[in-house]
Amino acid sequence: MADRYSFSLTTFSPSGKLVQIEYALNAVKQGVTSLGIKATNGIVLATEKTVHNTLVKSDSFNKIELLTGDIGVTYAGMNPDFRVLVDKSRKLAHTNYKRVYNENPPVKILTSDIAKTIQEATQSGGVRPFGVSLLVGGYDDATLSKKKNEGDPNASGFSLYQVDPSGSFYPWKATAIGKNSSSAKTFLEKRYNEELELEDAIHIALLTLKETIEGEMNGKTIEIVVIGEPDNAKMGFQGLEGATGPRFKRLTPQEIDDRLSEL
Amino acid sequence: MSDPSSINGGAAVAMVGKDCVAIACDLRLGNQSLGVANNFEKIFNYDHTFLALTGLASDVTTLSEVFRLKTNLYKMREERSIEPETFANLVSSTLYQKRFGPYFIGPLVAGINSLTGKPFVCGFDLIGCIDYAKDFVVSGTATDQLYGMCESLYEPGLGPDDLFETISQAFLSAVDRDALSGWGAVVYVITKDKVTKRLLKTRQD
Amino acid sequence: MDIILGIKLNDSVLIATSKAVTRGISVLKASDDKTRNLGDHSAMAFTGESGDTVQFAEYVQANLKLFSVRQNYELSPKAMASFVRKELATSIRSRKPFQVNVLIGGCDINKETPETSLYWIDYLGTNVELPYAAHGYAAFYALSLLDRHYKPDLNEEEGIKLLQLCNKELSTRMPIDFKGLRVKVINSQGVKEYDDLTAL
Repeated sequence: MADRYSFSLTTFSPSGKLVQIEYALNAVKQGVTSLGIKATNGIVLATEKTVHNTLVKSDSFNKIELLTGDIGVTYAGMNPDFRVLVDKSRKLAHTNYKRVYNENPPVKILTSDIAKTIQEATQSGGVRPFGVSLLVGGYDDATLSKKKNEGDPNASGFSLYQVDPSGSFYPWKATAIGKNSSSAKTFLEKRYNEELELEDAIHIALLTLKETIEGEMNGKTIEIVVIGEPDNAKMGFQGLEGATGPRFKRLTPQEIDDRLSEL
Repeated sequence: MSDPSSINGGAAVAMVGKDCVAIACDLRLGNQSLGVANNFEKIFNYDHTFLALTGLASDVTTLSEVFRLKTNLYKMREERSIEPETFANLVSSTLYQKRFGPYFIGPLVAGINSLTGKPFVCGFDLIGCIDYAKDFVVSGTATDQLYGMCESLYEPGLGPDDLFETISQAFLSAVDRDALSGWGAVVYVITKDKVTKRLLKTRQD
Repeated sequence: MDIILGIKLNDSVLIATSKAVTRGISVLKASDDKTRNLGDHSAMAFTGESGDTVQFAEYVQANLKLFSVRQNYELSPKAMASFVRKELATSIRSRKPFQVNVLIGGCDINKETPETSLYWIDYLGTNVELPYAAHGYAAFYALSLLDRHYKPDLNEEEGIKLLQLCNKELSTRMPIDFKGLRVKVINSQGVKEYDDLTAL
């Protein structure tokens, strides 16, 4: 009954724009800056953890989340919308892929499934678009073998995607979203090169955040995730042929502070 | 008598060799004791992944078409062909979706993984339980005979030519002892960069 | 106990069907037509549960007609056979399946050289292309004869001769009078109908 009278809120303006999507993009632009860098041997996702009050336990929440063992996601924009999308994305990874093929989805496939849910929110009745842009980074064998077959000398299985409130998505070598994204992107453009390794990328991520951060910068106020080599110790079992542990690794405040002191 | 999986008859087998796999099926389609067709192939390929389907002929056709659809969609979405291991899991989940009203078939999957170069064969029951095997898998109304022949003729590490000889002898001897199988046979020998299809002449009774 | 036969010849297909309608010990009709044309160059013969047969045949006929009206072209015999197969394959897992077995004879005029084909489809949805085919008990007698005398390059006249041979055997062996055979000849010119095989 409810759906019978639920018209889409996202309708074309006479000039051909979907203003609801532009408003959603504005919400993203007000969000805290997040960035992602693709290195030769991994992905770095980094963001600022704004703590509005000194009484908040900053170690009790995360802004970069695991979707599959080898795929991570972060955002700029509205935190509640992000958490909804993380839940939906994890479920999609299973229903659309793991439960069908008994393996995790490649980054591009999962990203396009997430993009589909985001797009649907721009055309459905009774809902508003998601107020977030996402950075999805991860590893898969499919990408690696495809790049190898294309004869790419720098072939790797890592990829980084950005998804916007409209549902469009694009691959990046390095990018930033949120409040200071344009200056961060200019900074990344200057610093990026094709031979970057993970540690260099973490270094650049910290430098970029430092340019844009408001307030103090330490292990508690920023969050970094790397997707690099698999960690078989995290599997909890051993002896299964071909099984590998998760690549997703969140740096501890200590690990961040160690790197900050060397900056 | 009216067991759906033995109305039409038919048999299939798949074997692992050194850097190769072979898969074979008969060509008979019958109605109980009456032979209807001697051109009913039960092996289908989805690029480099091969699927044999024995059992109820109607379901053989239906499923071969279902998997054609699913693998074509997979190929468009992923921009790559499905690998044998992945396909095996797709077969499994597709069959289990019909757990309480199953297709009356006995599938086999064979192929060589294009990333790792590893030969792969496996079999299934009609609701999708995967039977992984290092050596051979069998299916159809000549299952008992095939197990016997494969157990005695199979040896590990055979090259493509020897594997062809082994699978052919095992298969022919098995179907000759099954009234519902035979009427011609097809053998595929698959290596990393070549697929050979051979038609075998068999007894016509 | 109905008889339906099909023979593929060098440039045509023959479909022969018995004319009797029987119910228990009675013969109710001696001029039955167990075929329907599915297009200008194809026909379908059917046997099975009375009621289901004509209902199914005319359902298929209507749908294929609808297709040709909408799309302004006719499906090939192969595609028609696939359509019929799928209808029966879905029906078999429904609450009340159609109990119908069919033969489809057709000529694909859209090939460089017109191509004839004969499809054997049973109520389970089994579909095979064959040089000659039959359903039911008649198959046991007719197929033995056809195995012995069939050649792929037979012409229409020789095909009719072969049908007459089958008719003779079936008249001798079948337990009840099936009231003769109606014949349809399908070639690139279309479908010709003959009321009785013996008149040919």
